Amino acid sequence: MVDIRNVSFGYSHAKDTLKNIDLHIDAGECVLLCGRSGCGKTTVTKLVNGLIPHFTENGHLEGRVLVAGMEVAKTELYELSRRIGSVFQNPKSQFFNLDSDAELAFGLENIGASPAYMRKRLNATVQELKIERLTHRGIFSMSGGERQALAFGSVYAMNPDIYVLDEPTANLDGDSVAVLRRQLGEIKHQGKTILIAEHRLYFLTNIIDRAVYIENGEIVRIYSREEFLSLSDAQRIRMGLRTLRADALRATGLPAQNDGHVLEVSDLCCEIRGNCVFDHVNFSAGSGEIVGITGNNGVGKSTLMRCICGLAKEKSGSILFDGRRLTPKQRNRACFCVMQDVTHQLFSDSVWNECELSAGEEGGPEIEAVLRAFDLFEYRDAHPMALSGGQKQRLAIACGVLSGKKILVFDEPTSGLDYEHMMAVAGIIRELAQKDHIVLVVTHDMEFLNCVCDRTVALAFNGKEA
Amino acid sequence: MAEKGKRGTQELRLDPRTALLLLLFVTIVVFSHGSPYVEFALIAALLCLFFCCGLFKSGLKFILVFVFLLALQYYIFPVAPKIFADFFSILTFYTRKVFPCIMIGTFIVKTEPMRYLILAMRKWHFPQKLVIPLSVTLRYFPAIREEIVYIRDAMKLRRVTGAAKVEAYIVPLMFSAASTAEELSAAAVTRGIENPAPKTSVIELHFRMRDYICIICGLLFVVAALWLR
Repeated sequence: MVDIRNVSFGYSHAKDTLKNIDLHIDAGECVLLCGRSGCGKTTVTKLVNGLIPHFTENGHLEGRVLVAGMEVAKTELYELSRRIGSVFQNPKSQFFNLDSDAELAFGLENIGASPAYMRKRLNATVQELKIERLTHRGIFSMSGGERQALAFGSVYAMNPDIYVLDEPTANLDGDSVAVLRRQLGEIKHQGKTILIAEHRLYFLTNIIDRAVYIENGEIVRIYSREEFLSLSDAQRIRMGLRTLRADALRATGLPAQNDGHVLEVSDLCCEIRGNCVFDHVNFSAGSGEIVGITGNNGVGKSTLMRCICGLAKEKSGSILFDGRRLTPKQRNRACFCVMQDVTHQLFSDSVWNECELSAGEEGGPEIEAVLRAFDLFEYRDAHPMALSGGQKQRLAIACGVLSGKKILVFDEPTSGLDYEHMMAVAGIIRELAQKDHIVLVVTHDMEFLNCVCDRTVALAFNGKEA
Repeated sequence: MAEKGKRGTQELRLDPRTALLLLLFVTIVVFSHGSPYVEFALIAALLCLFFCCGLFKSGLKFILVFVFLLALQYYIFPVAPKIFADFFSILTFYTRKVFPCIMIGTFIVKTEPMRYLILAMRKWHFPQKLVIPLSVTLRYFPAIREEIVYIRDAMKLRRVTGAAKVEAYIVPLMFSAASTAEELSAAAVTRGIENPAPKTSVIELHFRMRDYICIICGLLFVVAALWLR
């Protein structure tokens, strides 16, 4: 079904991203592409769905790719799209319409399908994928997980033979991952061919037939499912891969006894437009502690975080710092939040100025020390937006540290990270805790939670229906 | 555009082509008539349309605002201090002048989902070069709103003040717009947007009796307005 023959590819002539890739995938097979960030697995998916060479400019491609009997380089993208469905990483940027019904029909309308056939396909899509809850909705009122499920449905409606998925779970919580797993099971059952590039592996163990391990743009080894699942933890970690098991939560320590600062959340209740998001939330965290906040999308994790940072007002209850109740304005000054998309919180024209914005003009020596600690000093004159994703995140954290705030909140700091980057973030967070910060981590990443958090606070649905 | 709450009024919706024609008619009437009778009749007719389609709240709001405008012009400005009257009378005059346009615009935004309007434009063979950018632009507005919320939050936690705030909004917006554009077009081409086959639609448009009635009423207004000029 897919035949990649001795392909080398570079986004520019200077350097090859992929070297001598040979991969043959049979019809009905599910193949996982895995490896460290930047190893080239996304690039392999682009070879198959035709974004290379049709969409990528100035690329340099050698070798041939045949998919469903078509030579990718010589076939128009719209021809390829009839047989190959693609789901991407970011749920925010995969839809074109404002309402979900139009979105589901989008691909079919493009190929000029008849209205009767479209209605049949759309009904089948909704039933087979069990996405009734997504119909007749405004897409901007949907969560990331719902948007991703809709993107999958929209591709499914076109009924392709091959599905190409590029890190589809990077921004999803546990429940949404479970939905995707079920949807993948459905297409696998129908005999579709699946090619999926992923960091998170635990949800794929029952679906994949083979796993392709890529390192520095080369296929190092192709594992059968049995071989792949029997990798020891030590081997897996050496390969830089995330866990293969759905982890249970282990971190259940008691509040640490300490004499530093204490953040106390007492009987907190928040509302959005009159709807109760959560009620009676109680927990406390002291200096040096790392507390994880868990719960599926929609339980109000982000509202809780916004409330603690003073970005949302509490309906009742209180947030105390060292026994003193803080108003939202005071909380703005006491807390710093590292957002999931740090692009939203970098404002200056250079890394150094970004830090000065937090530390003040006289903070020079301190800025230098912090930038060195975060491996950013050599980039001090670079524009923050020119940094890589991980560097941007470290810069945002550096700004939080330099602002001298004692409460640091991390919102999904590991979305889309491989094992080593995840461990690097964990290391930074632990160091911050050792320097007597109070660290709160909002995450759905169980593996990360278990390796960094001392305790967790689980939010459950409350008031509002699920 | 709010897509919520539109299902309830589905049965009472006009064909999008009718709605766009009405927009054209109302604009012609507004910019050609001088008679207050035509103006009042037009507003009354539009209010009927609002109430028939179940938009009671916005209908009432428009009545209140219009009465307020009239009160300003006829009762308040004559007795108000000159500087106040001069300052606001032009604004009031033009608001009243384009009031029917605002009404029909609101009506379209409230009752017609985007996809219906796009489909209407396709049916009339508007060029793709106009339709696609327009639909992407409209889709992008709510996305900007989402992003602005994040950026505002982030600013509150940083020392961003004064003029720096404007830049602080624009820089992240530009960069996320650039990456969104790239990702969105990748998703679009892999779903066959470049397919030269004529695009079809799962929804079908039908002119019904109410559409004909509305179009005839609209035409009558155009004739009356041009006649009474």
